[in-house]
Amino acid sequence: MNRREFGAFSAAALAMGLPFRAFADETCQSPYMPKITGHEEYVYVWTLGVEGMGDEQDKLVTIDVRAGSDTRGQVINSISVGGRNEAHHGGFSADRRYFWAGGLDTNRIFIFDVHTDPSNPTLHKTIETFVKDSGGVVGPHTFFALPGRMMITGLSNDDDHGGRTALVEYNDDGDYVATYWMPTADDMQGAVAVGDAVADGYGYDVRALIRKNVMLTSSFTGWSNYMMDFGQMLQDGEAMKRFGNTIVQWDLHTRQPKKVFNVPGAPLEIRFPWGPNANYAFSTTALTSQLWLIYEDDAGEWQAKAVADIGNPADIPLPVDISIAADDQTLWINSFMDGKTRLFDISDPHNPSQIYEKVIDRQVNMVSQSWDGERVYFTSSLLANWDKKGEDNAQYLKAYTWNGSELVEDFAVDFNELQLGRAHIMRFGSAALYS
Amino acid sequence: MLSKRTMLAVCLLLVVAGATWLAMRPQPVTDPAPWSAIFPASPDFQFDPPAPGSYALHRIKPAPDGRVLDINGEARTLSDLTRDRISLVSFVYLNCSDVNGCPLAMSTLFDIHDASLQVPGLRDKVQLITLSFDPERDTVEAIRSFAYPVIKDPSAEKKLEWHVLTTANQAALQPILDGYGQVVDRSDDQEKISHLLRMYLVDQNGQIRNIYGLGLIDPRLLMTDVETLLMEGGQS
Repeated sequence: MNRREFGAFSAAALAMGLPFRAFADETCQSPYMPKITGHEEYVYVWTLGVEGMGDEQDKLVTIDVRAGSDTRGQVINSISVGGRNEAHHGGFSADRRYFWAGGLDTNRIFIFDVHTDPSNPTLHKTIETFVKDSGGVVGPHTFFALPGRMMITGLSNDDDHGGRTALVEYNDDGDYVATYWMPTADDMQGAVAVGDAVADGYGYDVRALIRKNVMLTSSFTGWSNYMMDFGQMLQDGEAMKRFGNTIVQWDLHTRQPKKVFNVPGAPLEIRFPWGPNANYAFSTTALTSQLWLIYEDDAGEWQAKAVADIGNPADIPLPVDISIAADDQTLWINSFMDGKTRLFDISDPHNPSQIYEKVIDRQVNMVSQSWDGERVYFTSSLLANWDKKGEDNAQYLKAYTWNGSELVEDFAVDFNELQLGRAHIMRFGSAALYS
Repeated sequence: MLSKRTMLAVCLLLVVAGATWLAMRPQPVTDPAPWSAIFPASPDFQFDPPAPGSYALHRIKPAPDGRVLDINGEARTLSDLTRDRISLVSFVYLNCSDVNGCPLAMSTLFDIHDASLQVPGLRDKVQLITLSFDPERDTVEAIRSFAYPVIKDPSAEKKLEWHVLTTANQAALQPILDGYGQVVDRSDDQEKISHLLRMYLVDQNGQIRNIYGLGLIDPRLLMTDVETLLMEGGQS
């Protein structure tokens, strides 16, 4: 076996989750971590505490999804963290033993042990010094696992609480390593603006294509907007100008920005496919409701272009989370305002088309699917001050079966009724990941 | 004496790693190009390594100390071994049958070991350290057999020093694994030890400066990082 064969085998094994015996998780995780390609056993939901509801604290809720379990579809554990932090996103460490979850308002980072007892995570460590460590970054958002380290995107800064922000790297022990500020028009850090792009310095998501040494970041908005009442913000012309319009291509190894692409309207989630020859990624824009392709062209240069509308952009459906299938053929796209999920055929990434849609509820945000694509989970909350009010403020986890032509509801957990709070990001767990 | 099982495992690992090394052994270069140019580009790593010294390798955390045994059975400490040299540290077990695990790491290290012949003086600054995480089976005798081709290499004195190590027992091993963050899961199947493939770049002061997993174990990238650390210290 030569190095090439070694590499090909390694890539295949990596996708299969070897050498760990456990297999897969949803399809949007860091490629560095073991995956659950079988049946997930637990869904962890990072949940925002609500004043006057239950213990009012943010919490990690564990829902049993084991086939045949007496408690399947029920909350079996919940661990509260002692306050409200604007709980938002989280991600596993590369060894998948710990789940890091952030608070966008307090900047606390909670590290949960999910391997000692995957059915009952415990709080292992809390990082209280994110802003100070990082030199002023605010709003820890995406947690993207690297070997032995965690790359965290910020959303804001403690100077003007606007959108200028950075990537922040910690080691797996929870100790600070480095800060990498996003390029701006005034400080491009060696990056090149493509076309009419203006580097805004904003941040949101981060993903990487290892074999190409490419890392991409997207751009949302700062603390002053994401903590503002949604209706008030929509009426504030100046606030509405403070959204990101860029995706940045980085050198993954050196952490240096290379290109700034013009992607207007707040590009949010970024997903690379899994195929060995798939040199592209998808993103969606929240305000302009478009599906974007960031891709390597025939000359080996990375480019960005809009490839489809999501619903009617004039209605501002507000696309939020997306989930790519393990076979790279389809992409779920949720839109918050109309509560819909849409399935796009992305077999031709340059010409995607919608093939299915369904209203999940009055509002919907996150979507996660099993490795085989047969189970799809949805949660409801966007941000505490952006969620809908009154009867429209549905808070839930809903589990569906995808039979190839439609979503069939399996079970639902009502987070309001259970006095848990606002359900945000989901991640899967399984005892089979650990010996 | 080695058990039949250990002998078989050692032979298997050596055959796989050796065959890979022979197939992909580095080609000589004559110009003062970056050391990464010694190695052929692989389709698995579809990018050119950055220029050495053009980026920073941040201090990730201190490498842990611990007591280990060398191929002569002598007790050593990791801190003594790594002092004043850049070390590429890897963890393997000789019975490893995951070709994307230990053999992959070993073939890359064989590449680097062989290529070091082309960089005069590199031996004084850089070394390889391979530590077993299976001390019960990877005894001193077993690792000595494993290291035989390195020891008996006619050019060994001109290539990087390669420390092949084991530990007296799990109690001595575990703090080292924990300190590095090398995850090892032992199942009921004693023939298999599940682990995440990792390699660590440790600088002259005992700081971990990079951690490599699958998809990153490219000899060009490793040597670029080594060269970057040496430039940082003004030694390249």
